[in-house]
Amino acid sequence: MLHRLESLESCNYNGMEARLKWQQQNYVVQNNNLVELCAGSLPQFQGLIGSNLGGAQMIELKRPEVFLGSVDFQEFVNFPVVGPEFGDSEKLDLVPPEAATNYCIFRTSSCQMSALNTSVMKEEREDLILEKMESATGIGRESFNKRKAEAVADHKSKDKRIKGEGESEVKANCSTEISRNSSKKSSKASEVLKPDYIHVRARRGQATDSHSLAERARREKLSKKMKCLQDLVPGCNKITSKAGMLDEIINYVQSLQRQVEFLSMKIAALNSSVETLPMKEFPAYVANFPAAAKLPETADLPYFQLNPLQNQSVNCMLNESMLPPQTGAEGIASPSVSSSSSMTQLQPFSTWNTDPQGLSNMYNMGFH
Amino acid sequence: MDLHNLNPSSLKSRFTTRFLRALTEINARKPIASSSSPREIFQRYRRIKDAADTSMAYSVRSRRTWSKATLWRLRTPSHRRRLASFGRRSSLNKTRTTTTASHRGAVVVQITSRGGGLGVQLEELRELVPGGEAMDLCNLLDETAHYIKCLTTQVQVMRTIANLYSLE
Repeated sequence: MLHRLESLESCNYNGMEARLKWQQQNYVVQNNNLVELCAGSLPQFQGLIGSNLGGAQMIELKRPEVFLGSVDFQEFVNFPVVGPEFGDSEKLDLVPPEAATNYCIFRTSSCQMSALNTSVMKEEREDLILEKMESATGIGRESFNKRKAEAVADHKSKDKRIKGEGESEVKANCSTEISRNSSKKSSKASEVLKPDYIHVRARRGQATDSHSLAERARREKLSKKMKCLQDLVPGCNKITSKAGMLDEIINYVQSLQRQVEFLSMKIAALNSSVETLPMKEFPAYVANFPAAAKLPETADLPYFQLNPLQNQSVNCMLNESMLPPQTGAEGIASPSVSSSSSMTQLQPFSTWNTDPQGLSNMYNMGFH
Repeated sequence: MDLHNLNPSSLKSRFTTRFLRALTEINARKPIASSSSPREIFQRYRRIKDAADTSMAYSVRSRRTWSKATLWRLRTPSHRRRLASFGRRSSLNKTRTTTTASHRGAVVVQITSRGGGLGVQLEELRELVPGGEAMDLCNLLDETAHYIKCLTTQVQVMRTIANLYSLE
């Protein structure tokens, strides 16, 4: 058995030597049990957590797999994927090295674990990964209870206490692991190679029934989408509430729609002096125009400077947008009605200035 | 100005080419006289706005609900639209009440009943985004994100065109 430990040591982990030596000492008395071997490697993987392996971890851990030559070592491979992503998770303090020997962490090859492997490899979120590790301990808990008699000889008193702490933690997870084996999809695991079970883990202190799980998954989806929207809408970094965000989104969409209307009105009014422009160059010109990339920061109406004729047209358009949508004929009738009052209504519009950003940039561009 | 970085298949370029084509078509149909009445300008504005919305929706190729809704809105004459929307609204109310049993429906009901503010805002958002009446919150947010992206592109391009026109 010791040569297996040596092979594990040969993996190049920083700061592992102390823990490995301790591990070796403990192992002399252990019987030839794969489970306990696995358990003893827990401190190694705990040390993994402190080390910064990056992408090389998977390659290095395949070596022990070669030495062990067993399918069960899948579970070894599982752990290092899990390990470095814990960072400094304090939950692992509940499983100190002294208690490592008393936990059978790896249950030998259950198909659940293999699904767990593949789903873990796709996981990114720290919480779910942590929970899967706990599920590993939970699954191991079943076999551990069976093998309790064997390992009794190695129990120390404080191990029992620590185990009790861990037990209360993993017990709920264990039972939920069993209950959830039939079912629930994780919203995060995208592909599972062996689609037996997709595990979603309950975090500590949270409800674990299927409805709340699905509810939580839905809520997380929603919050992810709200974050995407936050990136799209300018000036939303400080708003944290959903209602505020929705308000901002609504304002922004309204302002964009109004800008489209104003711009089309402007084009309609300004089209007067245009001859047909060369069609080939124009799209490239237009699309690459950098000044167009700057949208006004405020969500207010864009500012226009229009001559009186255009002001009238703007007025018509505003009337049109305020009234309920009408057919074309009716829409044309309303401007004539309102044209008499248009001059009075022009007063508020005359305070609009040119869009300083866009126009000044455009003049600076000096295109030919 | 660099003319070589244009991605020919990007949303912006697709929209630009379509919109410019529509503009030249509008110009050809009704050439602008120097003295246009407000009525004509208004008509023109309507046509240009419809052209802009249509070309935007076409560039998206009805992969999205809002683009489908926009195209349908612009194509169907108003009386047929009223009939259809009447039927759609009644069936929508039915679905909203009958799906309370299912989990998905429960989600919709939950949202509207959770906070009065949130429900009102959702209704507003549904009105703003074309085709948003029949969607649950999850899809509605997706549609809103894509719609905002396309609207910003549209505004950019139209502003450039307007500036170019105003210069010449």
